[in-house]
Amino acid sequence: MTTFLAILVTGLGTYLSRSIFILSLANRRIPPMVRAALEYVAPAVLGALVVTMLVTPEGKIALGYAEVLALATAGAVALRTRNHILTLVAGMAVFWIVRTIT
Amino acid sequence: MSGEGATLKTAIGDALPVFVPAIPFALVLGVAIMRSGIDPLLAWSSSLIIYGGASQLTLITLLGEGAAGAAAITAALIVNARHLMYSAAMAPTFQQQPAWFRWIGSYFLIDQVFALGMLRINDDPRNFRIYYLAVGVTFWLLWVITTAFALWLGPLVPLDWGIGFAVPILFLGLLVMGIDRWPKAAAALAAALVTLVAADLPHRSGLLVGALAGVVTGVLLERLKA
Repeated sequence: MTTFLAILVTGLGTYLSRSIFILSLANRRIPPMVRAALEYVAPAVLGALVVTMLVTPEGKIALGYAEVLALATAGAVALRTRNHILTLVAGMAVFWIVRTIT
Repeated sequence: MSGEGATLKTAIGDALPVFVPAIPFALVLGVAIMRSGIDPLLAWSSSLIIYGGASQLTLITLLGEGAAGAAAITAALIVNARHLMYSAAMAPTFQQQPAWFRWIGSYFLIDQVFALGMLRINDDPRNFRIYYLAVGVTFWLLWVITTAFALWLGPLVPLDWGIGFAVPILFLGLLVMGIDRWPKAAAALAAALVTLVAADLPHRSGLLVGALAGVVTGVLLERLKA
């Protein structure tokens, strides 16, 4: 029961974190400066997320040739094609090939 | 009518490849649940109630290790704190939507839905709504089903096949596709560097510091340009 309570509280907190500004700013004028700043949330969080995924729990960065080449390929394919499937396939193909031959 | 169908198709077509990296994550969660000693069905209910892989993993792992409930909840919520930024970033777009959509849409606002949705904020409101809901519901269904299967499959599947690397690859793709001017690239780079430097901070809170640094960098550069 306490486990269920912990899940429930975390669930409520998570919903709150996702809804709080969407609901509270629904009918309010958002100042242009804030609006401009919000445009940078997506690139900033995604940049931070990618790094977080490449760092071990001990805070060390885990990058070899395979990872670097795969990320470079994926970035280039995403830029050119704007296609999620191609980005995934190209990135993982390079990752697996380089990992196998090195 | 054909416009709606096309939007729906595009949305599901975008959601499927973006979901692929969530599969190994679901398997890891399955392993964590089986190891935690928590009733599997009860632990799986977190997929419905919390609906956020990283925070579910944090909560289940800590509870399984015997951590106090309050400590486990706090850690899980810190992991999820980036959603505050998503909520703020989506607020202007959601202003043009009906109230019911703001309440329901908020529930679906996970990393991937946010990243895909941000690429569509200039669509007309009706199209955006259809796209966002289709991506959100597809993702939610897949997550609920996959994490259920993971309870049985997780302990059986070897996790050293490296498919976990699909996660940073897809997020990098989402990042690149959203960059339409150079201050955004600079913001992403600044966020990445600061996150790297702050990697030691507990509960992945380095991510929040890094993201904030990225936003500040972007705003400053845009002001400099203007």
